[in-house]
Amino acid sequence: MFALQGRYAAWLFVAPAILLVAVFIYLPMVLNVGVSFYDWSVLRNEFTWKGVENYLSTLDNIDFRSAFANTAIYLAVLVPAQIALPLLLAFLMLRVRNRLLVRAYRAAYFIPTIVSFSIAGVVWLWMFNPIVGFLNTFFEAIGLQSHRWLNDPDMALWCVAAVAFWKGFGLNLILYAAALVGIPREVVEAADLDGAGPWTRALRIEIPMISPTLFFTGVTTVLIVMDEIVGVVDVLTEGGPYNSSSNLVYYLYDRAFRQFNFGEAAAVATLIIAIVAVATWLQFRAFERYVHYQ
Amino acid sequence: MSTTSKQRKGAALHLASRVAIHVALFAAVVVTLFPLLWMFTTAFTPNELTFRRNLGLLPAQPTIANFVAAFQIQPVAYWLLNSVITSVAIAAGKMLVAIPAAFAFAHFRFRGRDWLFAVIVGTMTIPYVVTLIPTYIAIVRLDLYNTLAGVIIPSIAFCGFAIFFLRQSFKVVPTELLEAGVIDGAGPLCALVSIVIPNTLPAIASLSVLSFLSAWNLYLWPHLILNDANMKTLSIGLKLFATNQEQLQQWGPLMATAVLGLLPALAIFAFAQRYVMDAFVHSGIK
Repeated sequence: MFALQGRYAAWLFVAPAILLVAVFIYLPMVLNVGVSFYDWSVLRNEFTWKGVENYLSTLDNIDFRSAFANTAIYLAVLVPAQIALPLLLAFLMLRVRNRLLVRAYRAAYFIPTIVSFSIAGVVWLWMFNPIVGFLNTFFEAIGLQSHRWLNDPDMALWCVAAVAFWKGFGLNLILYAAALVGIPREVVEAADLDGAGPWTRALRIEIPMISPTLFFTGVTTVLIVMDEIVGVVDVLTEGGPYNSSSNLVYYLYDRAFRQFNFGEAAAVATLIIAIVAVATWLQFRAFERYVHYQ
Repeated sequence: MSTTSKQRKGAALHLASRVAIHVALFAAVVVTLFPLLWMFTTAFTPNELTFRRNLGLLPAQPTIANFVAAFQIQPVAYWLLNSVITSVAIAAGKMLVAIPAAFAFAHFRFRGRDWLFAVIVGTMTIPYVVTLIPTYIAIVRLDLYNTLAGVIIPSIAFCGFAIFFLRQSFKVVPTELLEAGVIDGAGPLCALVSIVIPNTLPAIASLSVLSFLSAWNLYLWPHLILNDANMKTLSIGLKLFATNQEQLQQWGPLMATAVLGLLPALAIFAFAQRYVMDAFVHSGIK
């Protein structure tokens, strides 16, 4: 349709989007690799050739190593947690018959998703406050020990992970809930007739049936954990104490915008995209093997 | 006999498991919503009382003094205004770019269509941090540093999801309807405005709301570009406020500012809950 006049119109219609995506996403992505071989001075606005030096000094930097290790912990903890717990809640919600109640639960779990990272940050900063914050007041009231939370190098990372989880789990939850409701009734009823218990049914029927959604949330959760918890890190701890809660993106931010070492920061960005590419590739491999499309 | 007692036992177990499910779900609701309720409590508690350890959810002497104080301590009015301007501009810009593109991808045949679509949708898998440094350098060189335009323009480019989502919705509009329009002499633009858009308003509404919310919550990019206190958006102003107040101990006004930042998002969610959740859910379906 729109056979003749349409062709030119179509190109006009897609042109702005293509242009924006090319100029502000693909071009910077390529330039980033370029910048990573240079040093850029903000004041003089000059580029100096550094070769692979930015990469070598990055890999050698002890702060980078701890940021790298922390990122691995964040991924190892948050990706399974943000999949398993919402999935469990979605299964529980499936057993609730009252539709109004189901909607209320969904809305409640979803609310932190629409809260910005900085609001989530300041709200939890206040909850974690060691002197007058709610958590310590509550802990002492019920006879537990109070903690230093964000000021404790052994705890800060877990506090940040908890806040990131709190903010992120609702999104995956509503996706799972929608996918589970979408499973054809006959399939579930057939399993019931065959005498499958709830566990067998979940593991053999329901989880395989929603595997495309699980795969999708796996990919997006990796991206979110890599990319977006920087807001929580910045407001809650600024990566501290002693870099104990920093991650790769925060390290990049610190290198570029506090120490003005843009070349090294660009090198970190290149490493980040390499990590995400590998993680996504691994998930696609698993996807080919296990994901079931109806 | 034995069957009835078995049945009764089964029924009791069934009831117990139903109760357990509700207890678990309700406990999760409490943990999820409590920090936000606590934020509201603190925002309406006189600031001097926030230093007394207290576990009550209802403020003892409710007051709006914290809101008044917040506007005096920090340029919160500017932050709100800047947030509204950037969020509306980003959301509107994304729609302006995404609607025609999605229409072309859904209903036209042209060379390179599938390849171009893949290029656009592919941006959804790119971590935005890899664009950060070159874009920052470009913004500084173009003298857009510390301007709202410097925040808005690059953000509109992240429209991959919008185009993907709208293309799905536009495809539902029957080709016959569009062909009838063509026979009546409607050009492509006319068909878009008079046939496609009126028939897909719920999808467009969902996406506008989603784009507005994500722009309202932007953190890292405005944090890098907006430097003066008066130029900040609320999202990053809060960070400035939080950093300053650690010495000043102004938890009441800080929570009041957080409430102001959350209210627009909550209001949109309350009024357009179905649209917002639908948009998120569709983002996860294939």
